[in-house]
Amino acid sequence: MLAFHGKIAISQHPREPFLPPPLPFRYPWTMRRIITLDPDVKFMCTLPFSWTMTEKLRSKLLFEELVLLSDICLSIYEVIFTGLQGTLLLVGDDNIIFSSLMGIGKWGDLKFLNSMETTLSLYYISFPSTARRRSIKRVHRETSGDERGEDALGGAPAKECAEASGGRVYTVVVVEREDDLGVRVVVGKHRHAWIVGKISENDVVSLIGKVFVKYFMNGGKKVGELAKGIGEFVPVGADGSVVLSFSLLNADPSDWVYDWKFKEMSNIMLTPFVKALTPIANISIESQVLYHTPKLSQSYWDEKSSSHIFSIRDLPFFVNSNEWHLDTSIIAAGRSKVLQFVVYAPSASECPLLLQLPNGEISMTNSFISPMWGGVIIWNPPHCAGDSHNTLPPQVRLSPIELQKIFQVFLAQLRMLFGLKSNYIDSSETGISKFLDSESGFTEWELDVLYRHHACFNLHSCVTTLESLAKLVQSLPRMIIMDEIGKQVKFSLEAANLAQRNASLGIYDSSASSSRQAKVLAEDAFFHPSIMSISYSSIEHYFAIYMPFFAPVALHVLLAAIKELKRYKRERAKYLAFISEKAKMD
Amino acid sequence: MATRDPSMICCFRLLFLLLFSVPLIASSSSWASMHHNNWAVLVCTSRYWFNYRHMANTLSLYRTVKRLGIPDERIILMLADDMACNMRNNYPAQVFNNENHQLNLYGDNVEVDYRGYEVTVENFMRVLTGRHDPAVPRSKRLLSDEGSHILLYMTGHGGDEFLKFQDSEELQSHDLADAVKQMKEKNRFKELLIMVDTCQAATLFNQLQSPGVLAIGSSMKGENSYSHHLDSDIGVSVVDRFTYYTLAFFEKLNMYSNASLSSLFNSYNPRTLMSTAYYRMDLYQRPLPEVPVTSFFGSVMKTIHTDAAYMGLSIPPKTEAQFLPGDGGNHQLRIENEPDLEKDGNKQTKELHCIYHEWLNLLQERFENTDAELLFRYGFGTMVFLLTISTWLLA
Repeated sequence: MLAFHGKIAISQHPREPFLPPPLPFRYPWTMRRIITLDPDVKFMCTLPFSWTMTEKLRSKLLFEELVLLSDICLSIYEVIFTGLQGTLLLVGDDNIIFSSLMGIGKWGDLKFLNSMETTLSLYYISFPSTARRRSIKRVHRETSGDERGEDALGGAPAKECAEASGGRVYTVVVVEREDDLGVRVVVGKHRHAWIVGKISENDVVSLIGKVFVKYFMNGGKKVGELAKGIGEFVPVGADGSVVLSFSLLNADPSDWVYDWKFKEMSNIMLTPFVKALTPIANISIESQVLYHTPKLSQSYWDEKSSSHIFSIRDLPFFVNSNEWHLDTSIIAAGRSKVLQFVVYAPSASECPLLLQLPNGEISMTNSFISPMWGGVIIWNPPHCAGDSHNTLPPQVRLSPIELQKIFQVFLAQLRMLFGLKSNYIDSSETGISKFLDSESGFTEWELDVLYRHHACFNLHSCVTTLESLAKLVQSLPRMIIMDEIGKQVKFSLEAANLAQRNASLGIYDSSASSSRQAKVLAEDAFFHPSIMSISYSSIEHYFAIYMPFFAPVALHVLLAAIKELKRYKRERAKYLAFISEKAKMD
Repeated sequence: MATRDPSMICCFRLLFLLLFSVPLIASSSSWASMHHNNWAVLVCTSRYWFNYRHMANTLSLYRTVKRLGIPDERIILMLADDMACNMRNNYPAQVFNNENHQLNLYGDNVEVDYRGYEVTVENFMRVLTGRHDPAVPRSKRLLSDEGSHILLYMTGHGGDEFLKFQDSEELQSHDLADAVKQMKEKNRFKELLIMVDTCQAATLFNQLQSPGVLAIGSSMKGENSYSHHLDSDIGVSVVDRFTYYTLAFFEKLNMYSNASLSSLFNSYNPRTLMSTAYYRMDLYQRPLPEVPVTSFFGSVMKTIHTDAAYMGLSIPPKTEAQFLPGDGGNHQLRIENEPDLEKDGNKQTKELHCIYHEWLNLLQERFENTDAELLFRYGFGTMVFLLTISTWLLA
């Protein structure tokens, strides 16, 4: 029978052929096909749109520039030294010695300086030259007043030229003359050093080499020693700031209570230090006074020195973290570094408390540091016998002299925390007779060493951070990367390139501050709170989310389509059979 | 191309420098770090009264770690904290880990950093990776660096490669491995010890691959971890076996001891634990007998004696005048020079601000002398005049 929804034409005559199906025979079929296949077609059409609409926002992260920067920064330690310029001022009568020194073969230690593209200029001044005579004579007369001698050296010839281009020039002046004190080597507080006395040429070369290499280039540490524990002496937080937290601890307030006028003293003694370190860290200072803060370790009474002694072995256990609530900082942000500086006033039962060194001597400063944590000074009150008759403990303010001594030790501790020696004690092993101290806590050449070291560390840290960010981002293709992160990466790369360029020119302070900025931006990008891998699903998870929406409907639509297809095939076969019968009968 | 050239020059420089300055190069891969401090992250992942023992586990370990020297500022404690003040608690505000009730774990100085519903997988991952909102306070952050040893202790209910968090979420082993990998890449720890006290605990660190990680779990795959004993007063079990025997080991120690980690791991007896404590040391470089337990459970401070003070700075000359001995001549010279310096300084500053201040002064004078009314009239008049001119021009 014709599957035609309508009247069935029953022929009167059994042999009369069926009427050919009217034209609408085709039409409902087409309509049916359209209606059945419509959802499938629509779904297929919208699939590319749904893919783009569920695409994640991913800001560009400049991977190519990062690779370039990391290639350059592999040699960062050498790049930083290319800006060094050395000047050697030779003053004396004897032409022969100094002209023979001009040959490269004599330089020994200093040979590598030439290979590193540091320019070592040699200036020879002899006495007949009247132009320089006055200044040189001043040097002769005032070598006893080393500070003033240094100021007289300000007119070193190459200095103006080099510093005009931004680089730094280090000068060593060799003055050859008879001196009662023998050979004296003095390293100044700017970028000069001088050698006075009658010396042979070999000694001169080795001394000059030592001054340049050991002090001007490496800050008094052995070559590579700063680099070995490189993170250990960079106490700067991830956001480029350091909080110095000073605490005065009264172990037992029932014996005595001490107080201090911190602000005035820190303005005098700490402000130059903070200013000198501005390129490498943003330093803030706060202070507090605490009470009831006993220490953990024990000390023993020593008759000979009539004091309580504790040794180096007790130092790791000195800080009583349970009772010393030092972490009360209100200005420290989440990622800044806090360095704790503690002045500990012991109780009457343990006063005076002295630190004994392994060689049996008593320590002069009675203090110690812990790298990346801070420092502790044990300060013994002047009159140790507590007066037990008083009902109220005496409340005493620390005198300015005492405070000054304490602050001088703090400065030494800060220097040690930043990787330099606390103070250069005269010793015959080093061969240097004297080092001049500076008001800001660092001499200029020490500051250069610090800037170089920090620039190096910051750039290395910046590059590794950005590389791990790149790896992380590439491993999670479905993670959203905000535009803010892309911008931070871009600025970080710009700052890093600027720092590297400045370092090769010798402008160390701006190199240090650009490298700090680069590191801060890289850390901000890496630690952005939106990069949480647990929130970002894999491709399977993506399908698992969208399947429940489409699977049931798709099933029905597919089944209907298949049914219609079968039906269409059946009816088409019937139609073809009918057409062929009709043709046969005709 | 322009960007290629600097790198080519750098390559040549590198080769040249390598020939001459080998001892000076510090290769970036060998920037090894020293051990400075210890951190502890203690997580209790259960809530509700019947999981009393998990909170007791965590609090006992917290007390041990504090006693051995790690301060509160370096401990992150995550607890649901609903036991001590629970209505079913016969001993309000007290938490015990033994039926003899000798030790109150909730006594004083317990600083919980994440409590209640803040203990989620997301917060845990944020603590580990360090990706907090900028407003999160320092006490809730893991501020470790490349010289830190971290102890990570987790207890609760777990299963094959997962750990249940507060009955609503799961922490999977690959999430933990991923977090540890990110921590290692950012150098947030030098060494990490993971201790897990749950059922099938050892499966949780199947996916770990970062170096410097040591992990110990209370039971292996297919095994359960059991509680130690039931406290009939409180009505629930108060401590788990693994933690009980760990505490028994530590009660004998103090800050100065140097018992090794291998002695700790060997102290676990499978018969008394009723499960096999499995530890994974293939990622850990140091041999276990040489590692003291205090390098994870206690406090280490590397100390250096300060040998001398820095004399460069001293208090200013006006007070110094009282202290300087006999150097009369120089001293006088200095004082005389000082006022000159001050004057010069003033002059200089005056000169710097001169031009700008002069203008300001001029303007101020002008305004002071004239009448304000008059000025207004003049100004208004000028404005009207300009207006008429412009309209005439435009018309």
